[in-house]
Amino acid sequence: MNDLLRQFRDFFVSLKLTVVLIALSIVLIFAATLDQVNLGIWAVQQKYFHSLFVLWRIGDIPVPIFPGGYLIGGFLLVNLIIAQVYRFKFTAKKSGIWLTHIGLILLLIGELLTGLWQEEFALRLDEGETKNFSESYRSNELAIIETTDPKFDEVVAIPEKFVAQGEPIQQAKLPFRVVPKIYYPNATLAARDANTPNAAPTPATTGIGLQASATPLPLTYKQNERNAPAAYIELAGPEGPIGTWLVSADPRFPPQSFAYAGRTWKIAFRFERSYKPYSLTLLKFSHDRYAGTEIPKNFSSRIRLNSPDGRDDREVLIYMNNPLRYAGLTFYQAGFENDDKTTILQVVRNPSWQLPYISCALMTLGLIVQFGIHLVAFIARRRPAPSVVA
Amino acid sequence: MRLRLLPLAAFTLLGLTACRDSKITTYRVPKEKTPGLPAAAAAPASAPGATMANTAVTTAEGPGLSWSAPAHWTAKPASAMRKGSYAITDDSGGTADLSITAFPGDVGGDLANVNRWRGQLQLPPLAATELASATAHLDVNGLHLTTVDFTGGPAATPQRVLGAIIPVGNATWFFKLTGPAALVAREQAAFATFLQTIRAPGTTP
Repeated sequence: MNDLLRQFRDFFVSLKLTVVLIALSIVLIFAATLDQVNLGIWAVQQKYFHSLFVLWRIGDIPVPIFPGGYLIGGFLLVNLIIAQVYRFKFTAKKSGIWLTHIGLILLLIGELLTGLWQEEFALRLDEGETKNFSESYRSNELAIIETTDPKFDEVVAIPEKFVAQGEPIQQAKLPFRVVPKIYYPNATLAARDANTPNAAPTPATTGIGLQASATPLPLTYKQNERNAPAAYIELAGPEGPIGTWLVSADPRFPPQSFAYAGRTWKIAFRFERSYKPYSLTLLKFSHDRYAGTEIPKNFSSRIRLNSPDGRDDREVLIYMNNPLRYAGLTFYQAGFENDDKTTILQVVRNPSWQLPYISCALMTLGLIVQFGIHLVAFIARRRPAPSVVA
Repeated sequence: MRLRLLPLAAFTLLGLTACRDSKITTYRVPKEKTPGLPAAAAAPASAPGATMANTAVTTAEGPGLSWSAPAHWTAKPASAMRKGSYAITDDSGGTADLSITAFPGDVGGDLANVNRWRGQLQLPPLAATELASATAHLDVNGLHLTTVDFTGGPAATPQRVLGAIIPVGNATWFFKLTGPAALVAREQAAFATFLQTIRAPGTTP
């Protein structure tokens, strides 16, 4: 074995490393739990656990100050695998330990894959409404939609981070450049009219921005609130600017239409959408209460699932702990609003959702086997020697 | 010496985390069906009332209203959601649409309903404090009407909405005239007269 490989092995096989990593995990979890007050659970997960390093911003420069969840978890994983290979020899007596460790390795891999691949969206349906897309809980996008075709809309979806960067965006499907002029990560909207004669001049030259203005707000991290970014977007053709629109991801702020180059368009800042090759219609939302009280008993959504290829056209009932699993997605009953007329489904894509179940089963089996082996050996040892009758 | 390996492992993990970068995407989708009226209260497609275009109907929540439309308004077959529907055309081919719908409950309240209509005209939403100044009230045949008049939409082709929201029992009725601003302006007087003809059941002219 060459020198480098031996060093690699010695470093990762060490039990000291395991102890150090576990100690670091404890500190990380403690700090993250405290910081949850400031950042909310989602931002804490991103900052502390779904990262290689916990970063501290000094001015505009992010400085790593502590190993993040991916780094600690990754090292623990390598530590466990290498220790398994070099420290433990596979024998029938140790088969339980092997199974338990393989379960633990799978659990760590499952958590990594969940962090990397899991996507969560919300599907909000009014009774009778049909949708073939769900919307992100946190991400927003600037959508520029060509509506000329009577049957189809051509959508160019620009993630919020490009709007935040403020660089002009040239996309092959658009006959104009998209130039984000001003961007607020969270903003409130107010009407500009005769009642607000002293309002600052608006950067908007067309659309709703002539009658409304956006004022920046501090970012919110509360779990039951979301940021509503707003931006002033200029569209510029080869002959010069077409106009500057105010757009906002506030759900009450509608898409704005305009015509350019003989075609009709819409511009909207909206929750990021994830389209499906099938549609869901809410037939009925039920909010059952215990008789004579306001205490909720059950929430359920009767949904019609329809795929255009005709393979699926059926009714399904989604209720608490009984999600719909379809095409790699899981639809959970997550909420309701609008006087029980609107259901909110949580749509989760997690390709590795089975791994925690498999790993827990393996660990349970491993522990049973290991204790079983010890128990059998113990009983065998205690069995009294047959007495000799004189 | 040992620490030489740390960056190696870190970069491997970095490679794994890098595969989730967001990009500009383009795609084609079928046109969205925009509901004619309060989206929040869209009724199931199988709701009753599909053929009850021009008569007062009884909803599950309570009795229906009746009305008399001006002669030059053309009655249209109502959709599943509409209690009544009329088309009004002018000589230049412009068409305005009058829809009459009813939904159980208050459908989110006046502010939500007014803002939904404003949204359809690409107008900014009103704050709760602005609602009173943006609406007018009318008492007709024992009914209390909250009326609105908004103009918006593209500058080249402005659209106007004249609307009335009427609570009846446990339901809310919506009368909405929408169309090109010039045509709706011409019909404003006819719409006002029309509102005076709305009656709750059991009241006589």
